[in-house]
Amino acid sequence: MTGYLLELAQVLLALTLAPGLVGLIRWLKARLQNRRGAPPWQPYFELRKLFGKEVVMSNNASWLFRFAPYIVFSSAVAVTFIIPLITATLPFDNVGDLIAVVYLLLLGTFFLALAGLDPGTAFGGMGASREMTVAAIAEPTIALSIFGLALGAGSTNLGRIVMHTLADPAAVINPGHLLGFAALFIVMLAETGRLPIDNPATHLELTMIHEAMILEYSGRYLALIEWAAAIKLFIFFSLLANLFLPWGVATSLTPAALGIALLALVVKLAVLALAVALLETRIAKLRLFRVPELLGLSFVLALLAVTSSFLLR
Amino acid sequence: MNFMNDALFSQLSTLGASVVLFFGIALLWRRSLHSYVAAFKWQSAVLALLFVIVGYFGNDHELYIVAIVLFGLKVLIIPRYLDRLQARIGIEREATPYVNVASSLIIAGLLVLFAYAVTRPVVSLSTLPTRGGLPLAIGLIFVGLFVIITRKKALTQVVGFLVLENGIALLAALGTYGIPLIVELGVFLDVLMGFLVMQVFVYHIQSTFDSIDVDRLNQLRH
Repeated sequence: MTGYLLELAQVLLALTLAPGLVGLIRWLKARLQNRRGAPPWQPYFELRKLFGKEVVMSNNASWLFRFAPYIVFSSAVAVTFIIPLITATLPFDNVGDLIAVVYLLLLGTFFLALAGLDPGTAFGGMGASREMTVAAIAEPTIALSIFGLALGAGSTNLGRIVMHTLADPAAVINPGHLLGFAALFIVMLAETGRLPIDNPATHLELTMIHEAMILEYSGRYLALIEWAAAIKLFIFFSLLANLFLPWGVATSLTPAALGIALLALVVKLAVLALAVALLETRIAKLRLFRVPELLGLSFVLALLAVTSSFLLR
Repeated sequence: MNFMNDALFSQLSTLGASVVLFFGIALLWRRSLHSYVAAFKWQSAVLALLFVIVGYFGNDHELYIVAIVLFGLKVLIIPRYLDRLQARIGIEREATPYVNVASSLIIAGLLVLFAYAVTRPVVSLSTLPTRGGLPLAIGLIFVGLFVIITRKKALTQVVGFLVLENGIALLAALGTYGIPLIVELGVFLDVLMGFLVMQVFVYHIQSTFDSIDVDRLNQLRH
């Protein structure tokens, strides 16, 4: 029973912390650019504002346009049930593993692209085609980069991967481990629409990828999609933090261990947010035809990670 | 204690070999000649560090001298010559290689996989702690060859040759804890001489054809 309560608490934690994470990255970028910036809890105010607003829909939109935000949001929430955020032993462990996580993320991306195409606007189609180009190369790389760790642990169950790395700390400087981290980091930038692949703060439609697909959305639909994007960022950060640097994750269900795990997760997420903010301030957006090259590089890194884990056992 | 030392040595050497290979693959991703030279410089610096590590754990003090000479030659002297030659020729980017960037990255990955398959008998028979890095060294040799074959600009091919030579040095370091000092110095001298000759050739290609695109050498037929 406590297991299921803990599971629910973990999902609620992800839901409540995700907008704060996005706000933290924005605030850090503002500070690095010598601006004051909105406080890190600004996205919460934005979500509340959007939920109160009226939905304005195009006449050409179909049922898909109305349903897509719910599908995107629920697939993102479903992933938070099966990834190890605070504890490595979850009661939902046998429901989903690494492959399920990849497919749930892809489900959200797919419906978002369809929703971009649905109203028949030019920018929606452009955003959807760009998003599919990025997703086509990024999705197998997510699976491959974590697969390198899974080979070492002997299972694609994420909880078991965390336990395996906890039991063998010296494995962290394995080339498979580091290459997998680098590959997943690049894919995280691609999948969550961060520089250098997509500028999350752009207002120029020609440079948009994620924003172009949601340009037609308003009111509670937009709120759900923005929240889902924040949850996706939270999921990727947690995967990077807990799979590759799992110290702090609770292996027993005592309150002390859970408290340490929560604190460790917050610290790791903050460090990753600082790294992403520094990276976004430092580099410029890549031209679109060079994005497949960057993703090809991350694919090769993931391939090398799997090879070195597999053939050096 | 010895066993822990061995494990640490094995991890460090494999890590160093991976970083060296990574810089070799980065050569396929970047486009400007200046970034090629920078990647080669960093690769040689990490290789010199790896020689120091192998010399420390393998108790072979000659490798310290080899590391110093390698650092001086491949991090200081040769990149400076390359940059000066590039300044004389003018900035030319590798815009259209024979194989485009995305495909060449994937082919590089497949080449490293092939290197793993090829060195499997050697790795399983060897008892050295550094045997994990042997496939990476062979992979670097393949990647260096691949750069020479698929790039059009003559300077890129020169850098590819130097990366190939780095791969051979890496293989020597990991496979046999380095080769005798006299042989190593002889190899360095050969590389320096070959490089200087290649420099003269590239300069003459530039002054004859006004470009270092080796496709233009087809004009010699007419």
